[in-house]
Amino acid sequence: MIKKNSKGVCEEHLFSNIYEKYSKDLYTYLYFKFGGQITINDKVQDAFMQLWINCKKVIPAKARAYLFKVGKNLVLNDIKHQKIVLKYQQTPQKNYTNETPEFLLEEEQFMQKYQLALGKLTEDQRIAFLMNKVKGKRPTEIAEMLGVTRRVIENRIFVAFKKLKEEIKELNSK
Amino acid sequence: MKKDYLTKKWLVNKLTDAELKDFERMDDFDINTKIVEKAKLFDIPVSESVKSYSDFKKDLSNSGSKVIRLNTISPLLRVAGVFVIAIGLYFLFFFNNLTIIETLASQKTNFELPDASEVLLNVDSQIKFNKRKWNDKRELTLKGEAFFKVEKGSKFDVITSNGIVSVVGTKFNVKSRDNYFEVKCFEGIVGIKSNDIIKELKKGNTYRIYNNTIMIDSVTTNQPEWMHNISSFKSVPLSMVVHEFERQYGIEVEAQKVDVERIFTGSFANDNMEQALISITVPFNLKYKKSGSNKISIYKSEQ
Repeated sequence: MIKKNSKGVCEEHLFSNIYEKYSKDLYTYLYFKFGGQITINDKVQDAFMQLWINCKKVIPAKARAYLFKVGKNLVLNDIKHQKIVLKYQQTPQKNYTNETPEFLLEEEQFMQKYQLALGKLTEDQRIAFLMNKVKGKRPTEIAEMLGVTRRVIENRIFVAFKKLKEEIKELNSK
Repeated sequence: MKKDYLTKKWLVNKLTDAELKDFERMDDFDINTKIVEKAKLFDIPVSESVKSYSDFKKDLSNSGSKVIRLNTISPLLRVAGVFVIAIGLYFLFFFNNLTIIETLASQKTNFELPDASEVLLNVDSQIKFNKRKWNDKRELTLKGEAFFKVEKGSKFDVITSNGIVSVVGTKFNVKSRDNYFEVKCFEGIVGIKSNDIIKELKKGNTYRIYNNTIMIDSVTTNQPEWMHNISSFKSVPLSMVVHEFERQYGIEVEAQKVDVERIFTGSFANDNMEQALISITVPFNLKYKKSGSNKISIYKSEQ
């Protein structure tokens, strides 16, 4: 599909392919990394804009790494590593008739602890865990996206999970 | 250990059926599943999602001009950079070496120029000169009044708003206030260039221009009187005298119904205000009074 002699990503069809392929991933990556405080959409657009401006210098194989790096730096320019708080959906997924107010309150507390615990994870752990559990991405996919090995991702997921569990349990016992 | 191993495998869906059974039997199975289940609630809100490629294209074409401009602005920036550097160098070499010596009202000072020439600066005056260039060009700018005792050497220029005074080596006094310009030569020869007039002044002569009227006179002293705390005048309007008085004492003088154009010849002391006021007012049959902490008014004495 990609011509051997074309060096950059300036060709329209090539660029649109890259956009379709990576824009969602980049969005997810930035969202899980930095939370919803900033307008991720603009940063994604800016990152692709940068890629378009420098399309001659970036070979297709490096486009993903380039986008993630530029995207990350664009966000970092905006925020100074503030504590991230991910939003969770308030609407319960199931609506049992036997859900007492106490149960709902407990659930709400659980989610708040969860939210706090997520904020305490490192960026790498959070991305790996949420990409896998929320977006259903396989460890190999995430590894490819971040440019690390599958085992690293698997380990990050496990460590993240362990930390979350500890944090939630600890808060429960208080 | 076994627990961790199972959890790790469970997290990435790699448990065998038998292992899964074991895992399910663990006491914290409930919380394990709950954590993984509830993670889904942290999904990106539906309202926020990435823009489509067509939207991106639209943004790109909107900012298309920006992309081009970035490239055309860089040569401009380069030119601007050159200017910034040029201005910086200019200031570094021409302005940093400018020495400014200033006196306020009722303050005198004396100092030496780089070639050991002496300068006495009268009140409320200013001298500017370039230290680095001094050896090539002995040149300074004067505002106000100063006495110079110049070492022998190359040409020495005093630039004032009223004219240029050039000497080779001599003692002389220059006074340049408003439209009054006076050069007194105490020794040697002084060249004066004011507007179109070029004049050579010999020892013991005074050259005066006031309102374009030229006067040449002789000097009786061998040093300017102000060095001995006396301000002396010859045929100058009263307003000039009053201004000098204001400068010497750092005070404001108000003339009420007094013809300040009347001509004054004489002097006043610079260290005794009462006496000085008498010296100024008595010849004109005027009177004075203090009308504030820093203000004196002169008025016609009624007889």
